[in-house]
Amino acid sequence: MLTIDAEAYRSPWRTVHPAVKGVLFGGLLVCALALPAWPGAALVGTAALALGLGPARVPPRKLLRTALGPLAFIATGAVTLLVSVGGPDGLIAWDPQGAARAAELTGRASAAVVCQLLFAFTTPLADLLPRLSRAGLPPALVEVVALIYRMLFVALDTARRVGAAQAGRLGYANRRNRVRSLGALGAALFVRSYDRAARLQRGLECRGYTGELTVLVDEIPLRASALAAAAVPAVLVAAAALTLGAWT
Amino acid sequence: MHIAEGFLPPAQAAAWTAAAAPFVIHGVYSLTRAVRADPEAKLLLGASGAFCFVLSALKIPSVTGSSSHPTGVGLGAVLFRPPVMAALGTVTLLFQALLLAHGGLTTLGANVFSMAVVGPWAGYAAYRLVRALASRLPEQTSLGAGVFAAAFTASLSTYTITSLQLALAFPDAAGGVAGAFVKFATIFSITQIPLSVVEGLVTVVIVRLLSTVGRDQLLRLGVLRGRTADGDGGTGGADASDTAGRPQEPTIDRTPDGEATA
Repeated sequence: MLTIDAEAYRSPWRTVHPAVKGVLFGGLLVCALALPAWPGAALVGTAALALGLGPARVPPRKLLRTALGPLAFIATGAVTLLVSVGGPDGLIAWDPQGAARAAELTGRASAAVVCQLLFAFTTPLADLLPRLSRAGLPPALVEVVALIYRMLFVALDTARRVGAAQAGRLGYANRRNRVRSLGALGAALFVRSYDRAARLQRGLECRGYTGELTVLVDEIPLRASALAAAAVPAVLVAAAALTLGAWT
Repeated sequence: MHIAEGFLPPAQAAAWTAAAAPFVIHGVYSLTRAVRADPEAKLLLGASGAFCFVLSALKIPSVTGSSSHPTGVGLGAVLFRPPVMAALGTVTLLFQALLLAHGGLTTLGANVFSMAVVGPWAGYAAYRLVRALASRLPEQTSLGAGVFAAAFTASLSTYTITSLQLALAFPDAAGGVAGAFVKFATIFSITQIPLSVVEGLVTVVIVRLLSTVGRDQLLRLGVLRGRTADGDGGTGGADASDTAGRPQEPTIDRTPDGEATA
């Protein structure tokens, strides 16, 4: 299983309505983007991490490992802001304002990534997807999306098994083999995915499939008070950032 | 190359979402029409989407160590056509953001524009062009060259658009947008150009194998032509005539209908 999905199912906040978590982390995300990076991003990051690692009990090590990818992108992107090109000081020169811009960008984007990840770490997609049709998306699209989600884990498992078998036959021993093995993996995956879809279709038709896959969704009551409470951290962070910003 | 959450200023993120929206809506429209016309297409579309996601999660070997990469873009465009790919690609990118932390939610529009709109269209155009130019060659050769061109072009155009998006968001103090574009393009080219070549090679291997073991599926999707058993040669001519004016509507219909009838 994928780390984020596995943790989302284990999360103590799984029983909280997705809209409430959306308001909580979405509000903080908006704060990170809209408020001045200092002190806005720092406050958002602190608040989100305090909520995520505290009551939501997201494992910090797994959160960090997952965040490494986007953080590496942010770092690479921010490095380019340190220099300027084509100016009067030569082809490549240090940009005097570059460090401040890079720090601002890193802070803002890192805080935003934390908010996004904490939402993902507490909300399984299976809880989120059925509710999308209520949000006004075409039902046919939502069903295809739900099907993709359900088929994805079988496909991932297939890819893992094929990969392990190839590695056992030295399929990844050198560069040439690696390209060939990856290609074979992709082809096998395609054929098996289609074959499985066709067999699934036949099986479903035998059970009276009319084009609709109905699944039980845990009914979680959505209370206005919970929504209002979820908005509190974002409001507090915004107020604190604006007052701190006014002082400095 | 996925732009991380919060990396783009809100106004630009909104602008890129607006730019990607018509393509995605068109893709969703063609997808829902296909599903309504034939419920069986739903499961095959689900399988295709899952396939795209897993391909994009594969680790492609590169000079800077292995790096996960949106591999499926060019291949998906050839197999499923760009309009359907806009819809499938959007779903894939949403899942990547929420399941793998690749790319963000507010930057989803920008990522969709580069990876599910420009990449597939550029890759598909390159595929069509090469197939038309190589129409005299045996089908395996022409298919291999076309698929390599599709994967390479899709990957490179994705990377160019992403660099442009970043440059527009963070113009250089001295060099402006052009200077910033050079900076971003240079720093990401270290990983992206070798990746594009490797991706092209991997995609050629995939399609060559599919043309033997998955021949039925490729025929259904309209990638291979002619249901005669001889396979090689003679099919390029049909391709060349098909390239004129690349019509959108019939190609959308063909995917699900072809899948359904076989």
